[in-house]
Amino acid sequence: MEIYEVHDYLRTVCPDLHITRGEYDEDTRYLETKTLTIGQFKLGVCHGHQVIPWGDLESLAMLQRQLDVDILVTGHTHQFTAYKHEAGVVINPGSATGAFSSITYDVNPSFVLMDIDGLRVVVYVYELIDGEVKVDKIDFKKTTTSTNLTH
Amino acid sequence: MPETASCSVGSRCFSDLRGVQWRVDLGILPSSPSATIDDLRRVTANSRRRYASLRKQLLVDPHVPKDGGNSPDPVMDNPLSQNPDSMWGRFFRNAELERMLDQDLTRLYPERGSYFQTSGCQGMLRRILLLWCLRHPEYGYRQGMHELLAPLLYVLHVDVEHLSEVRKAYEDHFVDNFDGFSYHENDLTYKFDFKKFSESVGDAGEFEENHLKASSLAELDPAIQIIVLLGDAYGAEGELGIVLSEKFMEHDAYSMFDALMSGAGGVVAMAEFFSPAPYSCSLTGFTPVIEASAAMYQLLSIVDLSLHTHLVELGVEPQYFSLRWLRVLFGREFSLENLLVIWDETFACDNTNPNKTADTESYFRIFDSPRGAFISAFAVSMILKLRSSLLATENATICLQRLLNFPNNVNLPKLISKAKSLQDLALDVNKSNSMLVHSGLHDGKKTVITRGHTLSLDSASPRTPLKESYWEEKWRVLHKEEEQKQGAVLHLSRTESDPSPSKKTDRTNLPEPSARRSLLDDLARQLESVDIKKNTGGDDENKENAGCNVDNKENGECNDGVEHQDSFEVNGPDVTYLLSEENTPNLSGLPSPVHGNSDEANESESSSVASNSSIDENALPRDLSLKCTENDDSTGKSTAPGMKERKVLSGKFQWLWKFGRNANNEETSKRPFAFEDGENGKIHVAGFSMGDGCDSSSETSKGEIVDQNLMVSLRNLGQSMLENIQVIESVFGQDCDQLGRTESFSKNGVVGKEQVTALSALKELRKISSILSEM
Repeated sequence: MEIYEVHDYLRTVCPDLHITRGEYDEDTRYLETKTLTIGQFKLGVCHGHQVIPWGDLESLAMLQRQLDVDILVTGHTHQFTAYKHEAGVVINPGSATGAFSSITYDVNPSFVLMDIDGLRVVVYVYELIDGEVKVDKIDFKKTTTSTNLTH
Repeated sequence: MPETASCSVGSRCFSDLRGVQWRVDLGILPSSPSATIDDLRRVTANSRRRYASLRKQLLVDPHVPKDGGNSPDPVMDNPLSQNPDSMWGRFFRNAELERMLDQDLTRLYPERGSYFQTSGCQGMLRRILLLWCLRHPEYGYRQGMHELLAPLLYVLHVDVEHLSEVRKAYEDHFVDNFDGFSYHENDLTYKFDFKKFSESVGDAGEFEENHLKASSLAELDPAIQIIVLLGDAYGAEGELGIVLSEKFMEHDAYSMFDALMSGAGGVVAMAEFFSPAPYSCSLTGFTPVIEASAAMYQLLSIVDLSLHTHLVELGVEPQYFSLRWLRVLFGREFSLENLLVIWDETFACDNTNPNKTADTESYFRIFDSPRGAFISAFAVSMILKLRSSLLATENATICLQRLLNFPNNVNLPKLISKAKSLQDLALDVNKSNSMLVHSGLHDGKKTVITRGHTLSLDSASPRTPLKESYWEEKWRVLHKEEEQKQGAVLHLSRTESDPSPSKKTDRTNLPEPSARRSLLDDLARQLESVDIKKNTGGDDENKENAGCNVDNKENGECNDGVEHQDSFEVNGPDVTYLLSEENTPNLSGLPSPVHGNSDEANESESSSVASNSSIDENALPRDLSLKCTENDDSTGKSTAPGMKERKVLSGKFQWLWKFGRNANNEETSKRPFAFEDGENGKIHVAGFSMGDGCDSSSETSKGEIVDQNLMVSLRNLGQSMLENIQVIESVFGQDCDQLGRTESFSKNGVVGKEQVTALSALKELRKISSILSEM
């Protein structure tokens, strides 16, 4: 089964691995959603095909409130997006392989590196556009008193 | 404000303030007698500023946004950036370095963990070492540097504690008189109110605990005076200038460490003991720490020749133990208190070279300055302390154990005074060395250490009744050389012995010894031309001549080979057989030096050298036999040892290898022998040229290991010799049939007689090999 090969490969990259179930994953080992804490931040991971309409900010924000996380990481659309709102941040890193998506035309491979340092998270976005790697940086700061996020 | 101190800062003024004293000795603080406290303060402040700016520059935190909103381009400066200049790249490199440091720091002085293992101290040590290594990328971080730094930080800490004790003792007189109001707070930065002090003394005898009755600064106990002034917050440069300051301990420790490592313009720079490259103008060609170890041994030989000889004979090379001694300046051999005393003495010695005007480079750099001389002398006095226990054992491992586990309960003052007495001797060593250099008797590559080599070869060379004239000659030659050296303090090179008188000089034109390299080339050409020519009588003659040519300019052993050729010249093929036979033992006897040279090059960890050599030498005979079985051509088998040897030798002898392969491809049975003899002759030569002229600085290690492993290797080589003899004999059996047929057999048709002679020669060789095996 190919999924295990990918799983093992990713494990060799980093032993700390969190996976949530995707649209066509039948393995019940993987959960629908997952929450974890890194530093001062609570992160939530969810594939996103469960949230309809796909990629809709409001619905994802609702999920984020449900999970009570500062940062929600979703996917499914194969399109990089990063939303901020008063309750937190929703990050969609896109597709690392640039795989086909029925809802997105012209998928560019992309991934995200989050540097979590205390109350600040710096998001580095790496996108492959026209054969070139473009890097972008987004700053998010969390205040202890409230979860207000400033750019 | 008290009057500025008229106390002059003599060189031993701060006997109870080690931190300050060492800073003066290391050259950070001015040591001239006229320097005032204010001068000290200014210099201190400057060095601290330098460190602070260094820290800001080199310590990288990519998380902190740069000032001025000049955030770096994300394409360049993201964490995954491959750009070596990127901030993240530097951050990760620093993190890597810090990880290496932490490995050592966590194990630093565990018995004094209460100070050294605190996070504050560890943080300081880590930062200092990190910054120093970043500043000196050519050295990087080496284990041991942290042990040089730790005592420096410790003495600063002790000084600050001393200051706070003094403050406590005179508590009421430390007053913060900043605005003219007295604040009797327990503030760190306050000054001593001498006026109040004098008043209080005058008032009543309340202060019984203070035995001072001074009424002014000048009348204070000078020690307290100094401390007070050094801790004063209101002198020159204000707080930054407080010489004894807890806040700036890191800065001060850094400057001390830097001065110690770089030598502060003097001769002995500790950093060089960690460097794998020799001094740029080194005469010995060794790495600095090996050179210093050799220097120490030479000093030992001057002081106590029997102990030195004993150690050399056992094969105890100095760097096995002195590497640790020198690199951390005896930090591992003594407790911290004792170490501080030793370092007191070491730093008190001047580090500058008194004869800087001399245009010749000195042989042993470490003897150039009194401090270096003291270090060597102290090491020698440590060895002398263990004299009886070292002489008692014949086992090198036990010697090393004793040296590396220096007893704790030593009479340190005695050691130090002995070292001082040897110091002058050490300073003179270089003078005698330079004389020898000038007189041209001294081969720059050889040192006293290699004396061990010749001694061991001497003891190891087998005396057989068999090839009596050959081996006896060899032994005599070696003995003669040994006698020559016994008298001299310094080992003279193995001067090329005169060609034996019985040698026929009409055979060849003896070229100049200095044209050795060109000779080898000539030989190559000759041999290659032989390849082309059909095997004629001239071939063998050529071979012998060529062999002689090369041999002659080497030392006596080669000459002996030549000589032997002479006596057997009459029977042409005979000679070649015998040559091949006898050259093999020569060859066998040599691999150890050859190995040592080719394998090790500037090994700083010489402890591995011994094991490497022994492994290699043991491997070699096995490889030989393996090689023998691999080769298809049975006649080629005899060339296998030669070929293997060549493989082991460095690339300079590529042309030998090529030649060997040619030999292998020959069809006729006779030719291999002819070639073989030439090969072996060459290899024999090559072995010696490696032994003599090799630029490898590992020669010393080779020399010492040789005798140790020679026994083992001789045994193995005896075995391989036996195998080779068997091979030859089998070939010989074939040869008898072919000889009559092939026209390539050169000399004459008297096959039977020569066969018999050859067989007897083989039998004799068997005997030699059995003797070797039993050794």
